Amino acid sequence: MRGLAEGTRTLKLLATAAAATLLLASAAAAGEAPLKVGISLSLTGDFADPGKAAKRGYELWAADVNKRGGVLGRQVEVKIVDDTSSPDQVVTNYQNLITQDKVDIVFGPFSSLLTIPAARVAKRYGYSFIEPAGGGPKVFAQHLDNLFFVQPAPVVKGGDVFAKYILSLPEDQRPKTAAYAKLDDPFAAPIADFVKDQFEAAGIKTVYDQTYPAESADLTPIIAGVAAADPDVVVSGTQSLDAFAQVKAMIQLKFNPKWLFMSNGANSPTEFPDKVGAKNTEGIFTSGDWYPASPVAGSKAFIDAYIGMYGGDASGIDSTSAEAYSAGMLLEQVAGKTGAVDNATVIKTLHSGSWHTLVGDLSWDADGAPQGEYLLTEWIGGQLITVFPPEVAQHAPVAPKPNWAE
Amino acid sequence: MHALVQAVILGVLTGGVYALMASGQTLIFGIMKVVNLAQAALVILASYLTFSLFTLTGLDPFLSILITTPMLFVIGAAIQWALLRPLNSDEVSQLSLLVTFAVALGIEGLLAMAYNTTFRSIQPGYENFSWTVLGYQVNMVRFYAFLLSLVMLGLLYLIMQRTKFGWAIRATVQNPMSAQLLGVNSKMVAAFGFGLGAATAAASGAVFGLISPFNPGSHYDLISRLLTIVVLGGLGSIGGSIIAALIMGVGGSIIAALLSPIWSDFAFFVVLLLVLLFRPRGLFGPRMRGAI
Amino acid sequence: MSGLGLLRGVAFFGALALLPYGVGAPWILNLLIFTLMYAGLASAWNLLGGYAGYPSLGHAAFFGLGAYAIAIVFEDSVGNGYLPFFLLPLIGVGAALVSVPIGWIAMRTRADVFAIVTITLLFITQTLAFNLRSITDGAQGKAVAVPPFPVDTYGWPFYYAMLTLLAVAMGVSFYFRRSKIGLSLAAVRADEDKAHGVGVRVTGVKLIAFALSVGITAMIGGVWAYYLGFVYPQFAVDPLLTIGMVLMTFLGGRATLWGPVIGAFILVPAQQTFAYHFGASQVYLLAYAAIFLIIMLVLPRGILPTITDRLRHRNKRGPGGQQRAAASPVGNPVQAAGMIDELRAAER
Repeated sequence: MRGLAEGTRTLKLLATAAAATLLLASAAAAGEAPLKVGISLSLTGDFADPGKAAKRGYELWAADVNKRGGVLGRQVEVKIVDDTSSPDQVVTNYQNLITQDKVDIVFGPFSSLLTIPAARVAKRYGYSFIEPAGGGPKVFAQHLDNLFFVQPAPVVKGGDVFAKYILSLPEDQRPKTAAYAKLDDPFAAPIADFVKDQFEAAGIKTVYDQTYPAESADLTPIIAGVAAADPDVVVSGTQSLDAFAQVKAMIQLKFNPKWLFMSNGANSPTEFPDKVGAKNTEGIFTSGDWYPASPVAGSKAFIDAYIGMYGGDASGIDSTSAEAYSAGMLLEQVAGKTGAVDNATVIKTLHSGSWHTLVGDLSWDADGAPQGEYLLTEWIGGQLITVFPPEVAQHAPVAPKPNWAE
Repeated sequence: MHALVQAVILGVLTGGVYALMASGQTLIFGIMKVVNLAQAALVILASYLTFSLFTLTGLDPFLSILITTPMLFVIGAAIQWALLRPLNSDEVSQLSLLVTFAVALGIEGLLAMAYNTTFRSIQPGYENFSWTVLGYQVNMVRFYAFLLSLVMLGLLYLIMQRTKFGWAIRATVQNPMSAQLLGVNSKMVAAFGFGLGAATAAASGAVFGLISPFNPGSHYDLISRLLTIVVLGGLGSIGGSIIAALIMGVGGSIIAALLSPIWSDFAFFVVLLLVLLFRPRGLFGPRMRGAI
Repeated sequence: MSGLGLLRGVAFFGALALLPYGVGAPWILNLLIFTLMYAGLASAWNLLGGYAGYPSLGHAAFFGLGAYAIAIVFEDSVGNGYLPFFLLPLIGVGAALVSVPIGWIAMRTRADVFAIVTITLLFITQTLAFNLRSITDGAQGKAVAVPPFPVDTYGWPFYYAMLTLLAVAMGVSFYFRRSKIGLSLAAVRADEDKAHGVGVRVTGVKLIAFALSVGITAMIGGVWAYYLGFVYPQFAVDPLLTIGMVLMTFLGGRATLWGPVIGAFILVPAQQTFAYHFGASQVYLLAYAAIFLIIMLVLPRGILPTITDRLRHRNKRGPGGQQRAAASPVGNPVQAAGMIDELRAAER
């Protein structure tokens, strides 16, 4: 009885304290300065497209969170500046955001090559650096404890899930030979190399392995080499434009492998079918974190909000927008959990536990590398569908790949 | 062996496309001694015009050349008249490099405003069609582009050799002073010549848009290729640039097949450097200012 | 002119040297670091492109060389943070030595051909940076270790390094204008064959200009790599960098002491502030192109020569206007042509 009374009193005390905090919080909210979030994106120059998709994601998050009353009662103000895809400018921008505009929080830039110089500026000033774009090996090799990559896994593991799927097949149904055609880029070639290591360990013979430079507008000579080697499976470490060019070249050379995996570019829901022809996408594997048909909690609401704000339909939403939105979700959750949004708290808090985002539940190691896995998706009936791992698959993998439409 | 032959076929066809693009560049240099850094931007502009004509009216990209060619002629002549003509003639070669670079930036900026930076491609439905000949693949668009470049180059030849305009150009190139005495309006000739060079971008733009996706920034990669082709062939020599384009196409293709694609451009640049050092006028160029 | 010129130089560098003590905001210092960097680069380019009239488009190759040298040596540790700065002179000398055979071959060509030879050199260097993975880590890029500088004055060492290199470039430029080398270069620029004919050691002076020009460029590249902390081939060997150097020199005035500095102090802050505040719209590129065109059409010789000309014209009409007429020995090509005769007299 005594115990119970004690308990009730404690509860009462707690309730009063909570009410007081709430009151204080709302009182503070009325007079509290907005929460300024600064981001540099590449809105002109080579990386302008993902930059704009990221901008839409961030602005949508800000609008959403403000509708919900802001972060800890503070309205979110997003300041987005352009770095023209230049490393000098990105350093200037983060320097300006932090020391001139004195923003409260910064998020990472959107072109992945600019991530490291920008992250260093943030680190210098003790800012957390939640970034949805740069996930190459060198990014994590900087050992920055303020960095958090908002995708399920480091970029090198983009093809890991495809390797797992192939190696899950019975021995006699697996491909015997493989070709690797990859772009010389820190975020493309390593993906194919990672798959290659696993394939070779499992006895799948490499019959072609070439890297091509970023300027190669015409990939037909490379695909001609692949076709001549006649592999069962082709693994392409691609970025975007080169993925389209590889497919075009395969069609022109009438080469159709049994399995075709492409890392990036092929996972763009609108651009890929638009550039290679919708019918030609059939049976191509790719991997991703978010896509319009994603079953992740909150995805539906995100799509509705996106269409409400920008119009169009679900298939026009780039995963980059979802990744940017997820960066905001993380900040919101930290605030919800700890009641604070200062950088030290954000850094400390994100290093433990698992956090829900549109790209799955995330957790990080000390260097900011996420610990999860990408999903294997395949173009089936003109749509990207999850086909592996089986526990989340919406459809069984379709193999061998049907022939090109033209 | 099969791969090698296929590589050569691809190289020849690709070379044809570049030859077409380079012809305008060569023509402009031959007439005005201006290295036009905006030529590739004009090609991309033409790709967008073709793209718009196709998506709005369904006009076949090859037919739309008939419409885009006069448009580019006017644009080219206007650029020359407004921006190059006023330059001080002593320093025209250095200043025109910068002016045409600025024009390229301006075109890029306008295209980015009008079309965004999304990659576009022209897809009439036959863009990936290939014939199989003796087990080798011959892409139809590239083959037509190759033929088209022959036709265009033939037309250029006829204009230069058989028309009064061509005669005026040649006279101006040889001796501007006496050409003027003979009643040639050299300012008009320069504007028309630049327009003619720009007009060739219409056909190349249509072909480029069929072959590969493009965005407003695509001109950077193209111009470095065009410049090297034109210089290797000998600035001003149309025949030379055709051969240089073929060397680039076939050589690049073979090195990609035998060695590695990452060394294709490198090999070409080394060849170019060697040629320039021992024969600064290029393979077939007339002796030019700046040569040893 | 030397008294006034010296005063101007001392005032300029004195003010800039004291500036960090007055201006605390790191963002202003950051902006100045990039401005000084381009002022130094443009001044270095001017040594070759301005005075000698050899329009190199390949300077970014040497910039990249310096950047990679720093990144390769200091990937794991920078000690107390000042070590990389002490390596710079060695990088400068190294780049200058490398440049001698290259310059000797490349400068057999002139004008347009030289521009194209040098830009080819740039592409070759960039390809090597991509492909020699065991040295450069290729497309993955290479990091420089983080120096243990305190946050508040983090930018200072970089600022003073850039300032020193600008002083070196301007010092050489100043020396060129007062020495026989400068006179010889002016002769080369006006008419190389004629200069050769009258006994100017053409190859020698050209190589000196080339080596000094790219040596300074490489040192600046080293500081840049250290400041950014990370080097990628496409950014370290970037054609746009060369274009920037050329543009700023043209804007301020070629073959002048202050022209390249003026060009950089106008363009860099304008560009960086513009991109920061208005970059989101595509107007950015158009504005850049427009500025470019206006300079070329209205001020084809650059700001400084145009202004000095105007002043001189006014002075000529006014009393005592004559004395400054020959102030600049390499002011413009027409004047420079007359230098050949002067030079011939000097030889005797």
